[in-house]
Amino acid sequence: MISPLTRRPLSRSGAVAASVLTAAALAVTACSSGSSSSVSASSPSSSAGSSGQVVHLTITDWDNGMPAVVSAWNQSHPDIQVQLIKPAGTGYTLYNKLITDNRAGTNPDISEIEYQALPEMVANKVAISLNKYLPNLSQTYGSAIMEQAQFQGQVYGVPQNICPMVFFYRKDVFAKLHLTAPTTWAQYTADAAAIHKANPKEYLGNFDAADPEWFAGLAQQAGANWWTASGNTWSVAINDAATQKVANYWQGLVSSGVISPEPSWSTQWLTGMNKGNVVGWISAQWAPNQFPTIAPSTAGQWTAVPLPAWTAGDNTVGTWGGEAEIVTASSKYPQQAAEFINWMNDSQLGLNLLIKNVDVFPAATFAQSSPLLQTPPPFMSDQPSYNTLMASVAKGVRGFQIWGPDASVTFSSYSDAFASALQNHTSFTAALGTVQSKTVSDMKNSGFQVAG
Amino acid sequence: MPIAGRKKHSSKLPVLLVAPALVLLALFTFAPAGYAVYLSLMKLHVTGGLLGTSSTQAFAGLSNYASTFSDPEFWHSLSRMLLIAVIGVPSTVILATTFALCMDANAARLTTVTRLAIFLPYAVPGVIASILWGFLYLPATSPIGGSVINYFGNRAIFFTVANVAVWGVVGFNTVVLYTALRALPRDIRQAAEIDGASEMQIALHVKLPQIAPAIAMISLFSVIGALQLFNEPTALKPLTNAITSTWVPLMRVYSDAFVNNNIYGGAASALTLLVMTVALTVGGGAVTTRLIGRQGK
Repeated sequence: MISPLTRRPLSRSGAVAASVLTAAALAVTACSSGSSSSVSASSPSSSAGSSGQVVHLTITDWDNGMPAVVSAWNQSHPDIQVQLIKPAGTGYTLYNKLITDNRAGTNPDISEIEYQALPEMVANKVAISLNKYLPNLSQTYGSAIMEQAQFQGQVYGVPQNICPMVFFYRKDVFAKLHLTAPTTWAQYTADAAAIHKANPKEYLGNFDAADPEWFAGLAQQAGANWWTASGNTWSVAINDAATQKVANYWQGLVSSGVISPEPSWSTQWLTGMNKGNVVGWISAQWAPNQFPTIAPSTAGQWTAVPLPAWTAGDNTVGTWGGEAEIVTASSKYPQQAAEFINWMNDSQLGLNLLIKNVDVFPAATFAQSSPLLQTPPPFMSDQPSYNTLMASVAKGVRGFQIWGPDASVTFSSYSDAFASALQNHTSFTAALGTVQSKTVSDMKNSGFQVAG
Repeated sequence: MPIAGRKKHSSKLPVLLVAPALVLLALFTFAPAGYAVYLSLMKLHVTGGLLGTSSTQAFAGLSNYASTFSDPEFWHSLSRMLLIAVIGVPSTVILATTFALCMDANAARLTTVTRLAIFLPYAVPGVIASILWGFLYLPATSPIGGSVINYFGNRAIFFTVANVAVWGVVGFNTVVLYTALRALPRDIRQAAEIDGASEMQIALHVKLPQIAPAIAMISLFSVIGALQLFNEPTALKPLTNAITSTWVPLMRVYSDAFVNNNIYGGAASALTLLVMTVALTVGGGAVTTRLIGRQGK
C-alpha cells in the first residue's frame, strides 16, 4: 500500500548537517543527565575547610519554619554557612533516598531523621558516630531520650524533640452531650459509644492502619518492647501480650462501629475532621502544627488532654514522632556539621528558635522550662497551658528499648496487614502475627542474629 | 556517480543516524538491566555488631528468585492483576470497536465533537485521573452514590480500578480503530450498500473483518498495558484500605526496592515479571502475525 520511497542520494552538506545535529543531541542529553535534580550534590565538594575559609554545609529538613532557624545561624556564624534543602518526600521515601545516595557519597552533610529510623540509618552506614565531636551529649538528655540515639556506647544523632501522644477532642461536642474527657481507655470506649449513638455519622476517632508509629506509640504505653537487644543478638516480640492487649481493644471498637476505620490524612478522614464527623484524634504533641491543614474551619474548638490510661492515675505514655539530627557519612566537614546541630538542638538559643518557628517541644531537659513555652501554638490559642501540659506529659514518656534495624519492613508490613484486617474484618492479633514473622524472616535473611 | 562511491556514501549515514539511539539504549536500558540481573543474584550480608555496621553484598545464587516464587503474596498479586486484565482488556476492545464503528456509520452526526470527547480522557495523566476518580468514589465526596455503593469493597475494587484504566485508554484505541476504518477501500462498502445491506450488517460483516488486524494489535497493546498496571492502584491506595502495597506485581517490585530497602529482592521480582511480559508479548505477537497474514496481503 505504501509506495517505496525513491532513494535519493543525500548531498554532502546534508550528511554533515545530520552528523552535527546528532552530536549536538548527544551532548544535550549528556548535559541534562549530568545536572541532577538533587541539589544535595552541590556544596560539600566546593570550598576548602581550612581556617579562614568559609565552610558550606547542607541540611535536609522537612519542618515548616526552618529557614528562620538556619538564617539566624548563618548571620552569627559567617565562617560556617548552612544551606537548607526541603526534601521532596518524607518518611521512608527520604530514608531510602539517603541510603541509596550514601553509596554514591552525595548525601547532604546533615539530615533530620525520626527516632524509629535511626538504627536503620546506622545499619546502612548513613549516620556517623558523634562521640568524637560531641562527647558531653548525655548530660543534656534524659535516659529515655538518649536511648533513642545511642547504640552500644556510640551516639549517632542529636535528639531534637520529644513528641508524647496526646488526645485532642472537640470540646463543643463533648459539652453538648455532657461528656467529660476520658482518663481511662474504658471511659474512652464509653464516650465513643455515646457519641456514635447520639449521631451515627459521628466518630470519636479513627483506627489508623497507615501509620505504624501511631500504633507503636500505643503499644509503648501498654508496656510493649517490640525489639530488645542483648549483646549482638536481637529479640523481636511485636505480638507480645501488651501489644495484643492494645490490638484487641481497638478491634472491639472497630467491630462495634464506633470508631472510623479510615487512616489519618486520608481524604475521607480529612473531610470528616473538617466537617465535624470525626470529633477526636489520638495524636501527639505536634498536632497543632498539622491542624491548620487538616481542619482549618474548626480552629479554636479543640482541647488537648493527656492520653487515656490503662489504669486510672497512670501517666505512662508513648511517643509518635520525634527527630534527631545526624551527620552523614558523606559529609566532608563533620566537625562543623556537629557544631551546627549541637547549636540547633542543644543550646538555648537554637532551641528557642525551634520552639518559636517550628513549634517543637524540646528533648533537652534544660529547655523544657523555657519562657517561650508559656505561649501555646497558634492553633491552640484558647488553651494557653498547652506547652505546660506537654512538659508534664513528657515526664511519663516510655519508649521501646531499641528500634529494629529493618523497621521499614515492619512498618510496611503493619500497613498491609492491618489494612487488610480492616477491609476483611479479620483478627488484628493475626495481623500482628504476620508483622512479627515478616520482620523476623527479613532480619534473619539479612544476616542479623535473632533469638528464637 | 560511480557505484562504489554511492555504496560507501550511503552505508555510513544509516549507522550514524541510528548510533545515538543505540548508544542511549545501551546506556539507559541494557546496562541497567544487566546490573539488575547482577543485583538479583546478590543479597545483603550483615556483620559487625548489633547494628551490622559492616554489611557487605554477598552472592545469593537464585535464592531471591526462590523467595519470590515461594511467596504466596506474589501469586495473589499476579492473580489480581490478571483479574483486572480480564475485566479491563475486553471492555477496552469492545468499547473502542463499538465507538469506532458508530462514528464511521453513514448516519453518524457530530463525529468531530464525539471523537474529541472520547479521546479527551487519554490526555489526562494517569495519576490525576486516578485521584479524580478516587474523589468520585469516596463516600465523603462522591456524587455518584458513593455513600450507598461501596466502590472499595472486596469485589468492587477490581471493577473500580479497571474502570479508571479503561476510561483513560478507550479514547486512544477508538482513534486507532477509527483511522483503520477510514482507510478501508470504499468499493466493498459501496458494493454492500448496493446489495441492500443495512448499516449493522455492513458494520459486522464488512468492516469488522477488515479491521481485524487492527483490533488484534490494540488487544495486544492493551494486554501489555494491563501487565504493567501500577499508576491506578498506587494513586488510589491512600484513599482506601482495600489496596495494599503489594496489590499488583509492579507495586510489589516498587515496595521491595524503595520502601523495604530490599533492592535485591526487588530486582529478582522485576526480572521475573519482565520474563512473563516478554513471553506474553511474543506469544501475542505470533497470534497477531497469523491474523494479519490471513487477512492482509
